[in-house]
Amino acid sequence: MGLFKKAIEWGSRKSPWIIHFNAGACNGCDIEAIAALTPRFDLERMGVVQQGSPRHADILLCTGAVTLQTKDRLKQIYDQMPEPKYVIAVGTCACSGGIFDGCYCVMGGIDKVIPVDVYIPGCAVHPEAIISAVQKLLEHLKSREK
Amino acid sequence: MNENEKKGTNRIVIPIGPQHPSLKEPGCFTIVLEGEKVVDAHIGIGYNHRGLEKACESRNYIQTLYLIERVCGICSHTHSTAYCQGIEELTGLSIPKRAAYIRVIVAELERLHSHLLWLGVAAHEIGFDTLFMYTWRDREKVLDILADVCGNRVNYGINTIGGVRRDIDDEMLKNMSKVLDFLQDQLKYYLDLALTETTLSARLAGIGKLSREEALSFGAVGPVARAAGIEEDIRVIEPYAAYPEIPVKIVTDTHADVFGRTIVRIKEMLESLEIIRFCIKNLPGGEIAVKAPRRIPAGEVISRTEAPRGENIHYIRSNGTDILDRIRVRAPSEANWHGMRHMLQGEYLADVPITIAAIDPCYSCTDRAIVVNSGSKTEVMDWQALRQFGIEWHKKRGIDLSAIKMPERKIYSL
Amino acid sequence: MQAEQMIVDKLCKRFDFLQDRIHVQREKRIFTSPLPREEFEQVIHYLHDEMGFYKASHVVGTDDGDDLGFIYILSNREGIILALKEKAPKLDPRIRTMTELYPSLELHERELVNLFGAVVEGLPGDSSYPLPDGWPKGSYPLRKDWKPEYFDKNTMTYKPPIYEGEKEDGSK
Repeated sequence: MGLFKKAIEWGSRKSPWIIHFNAGACNGCDIEAIAALTPRFDLERMGVVQQGSPRHADILLCTGAVTLQTKDRLKQIYDQMPEPKYVIAVGTCACSGGIFDGCYCVMGGIDKVIPVDVYIPGCAVHPEAIISAVQKLLEHLKSREK
Repeated sequence: MNENEKKGTNRIVIPIGPQHPSLKEPGCFTIVLEGEKVVDAHIGIGYNHRGLEKACESRNYIQTLYLIERVCGICSHTHSTAYCQGIEELTGLSIPKRAAYIRVIVAELERLHSHLLWLGVAAHEIGFDTLFMYTWRDREKVLDILADVCGNRVNYGINTIGGVRRDIDDEMLKNMSKVLDFLQDQLKYYLDLALTETTLSARLAGIGKLSREEALSFGAVGPVARAAGIEEDIRVIEPYAAYPEIPVKIVTDTHADVFGRTIVRIKEMLESLEIIRFCIKNLPGGEIAVKAPRRIPAGEVISRTEAPRGENIHYIRSNGTDILDRIRVRAPSEANWHGMRHMLQGEYLADVPITIAAIDPCYSCTDRAIVVNSGSKTEVMDWQALRQFGIEWHKKRGIDLSAIKMPERKIYSL
Repeated sequence: MQAEQMIVDKLCKRFDFLQDRIHVQREKRIFTSPLPREEFEQVIHYLHDEMGFYKASHVVGTDDGDDLGFIYILSNREGIILALKEKAPKLDPRIRTMTELYPSLELHERELVNLFGAVVEGLPGDSSYPLPDGWPKGSYPLRKDWKPEYFDKNTMTYKPPIYEGEKEDGSK
């Protein structure tokens, strides 16, 4: 079983599959997240592939300050992801609620609903910062293996 | 046994969402099918409702400017321009001419990036990923100029009440001209592709029809209305910023369907290139901002701009203090939602993704939610599956966009 | 501003009660004062049927103290905007839906119900929009006396403080 678990972790390090969820964002960080997949920045060369279903994903890329309407869906998506799973909060709104903190329909940052592993501040986040964050996460996992 | 079951038809309800891998915005659609055709659609949005307007009522005018800019990340400049114009009207401020020209340059650059974004997303919806990659690569050039001029690729922050915050120098103008020339070639190629590639027009023509009369009665705006032959563009009807001095051609089409909307957007981009060139050539010297008072005199104003998606309206009310009294943002996508339900009726399920994408919905601008219907049978399908269904359905009928070979285009470098 | 003034003159001639309650603010902008329901309904039908105001871009809800205000933003083919205002007392904010004339107003009128507590007679459907399910009934966020700091997002309850001398139901 130990070997099997190691294989899964090796797989998610070498080729993490990402799922992208907008929890109530203005779309600024979302379009930069998609831009990270296009030729200029090209996340795919790192083996990163975007998935539509949470059941196939290793990493949840989440944007936006969590609104009251999306918090249950966000929790659902997180629960559907198989272990090992990691969450990246993209953008200032996802980190802390940002400029919308205090608005009546906004819970705040992503970490109010699910545990977050990596925080990327910025409004909007530059695609290079997203690539850097994914890289840092993978290195951290590698060092944890040792 | 009800009527439908007796006749042997099945109403299948497919709730889609609220998480869309392609559209990147939360929304929940319920499509009611009879066989393979849509008979009704309910649109669910509202997951982005943040309570922004209430927040503005306890902030001063400059703080509100930054909030309003973030109503939508794709058309942020148009919102901040409409807001600034409204406040400037309330105070009777006239912004310097140079500031007005800079606002127009950024607005047209925003239109370019937004339409290229749309072209890529629409291509992705129909399985034409090569075009998606090409258009987003071209878009990066536009974002480079925006980052140069404004300091940020998204959420530019160039506007302030009384003018703009940053000036444009000759180096930036030179780079801009080079990029415009490059884009001219690219856009001419995309237009040619749309008009001559029969697979593409077969996929897009006749889908999502909204006639001129219907568009008028539903109050459609922007490229959706112009594709139905309606000549309405706020830059011409009520010219703002520097538009009174700039010749703007309203681009219309008569197809009144998804194909027409594609043509209108590509031609609008070509028109935007001309507008930016005019601004570069005629950019006046002078100041870039005038000082604005903290307290705005009491009054109300309705301010309009032409966003990439259509007419954007802001209603602002002030009460003589430095805190805003009431603001209401009516983004263009709100006007187009109503027509969408009509557009979907009679379409094949396979054409639902591109029909929805073709109005270029901006959920953040609309930021709201609605109802879910239930019929005799319910099937759950996520957006990715629906998109894939559409692509396979058309492949079986001889329309395969992934088979289109696009010649290698030159790589642009400064 | 000739076209705008002509519209104002024609309306004042048709409706006596509009004298001094409608004015041309600037080019392409005509504003009215808030009209009570019966007068408002007469004017909006006339504007739609006889004066070519074919499009209603929006209806903005406002909190005007004792009244709730409803500003209908109408436009004609020349691009002239007429902001026609309706008012209804806060204690009984009943208005009639205008979706028979302008179907696209459906979403916007729903917002008035949810965010201001207006009662829009004849509005089809009864979903909560744009607020989330579970939002406390009787709690209208865009009214001026509603304060976000008294709203608990975790329990979805609104609890304003009770002041000395004031009973639980808010009366003195």
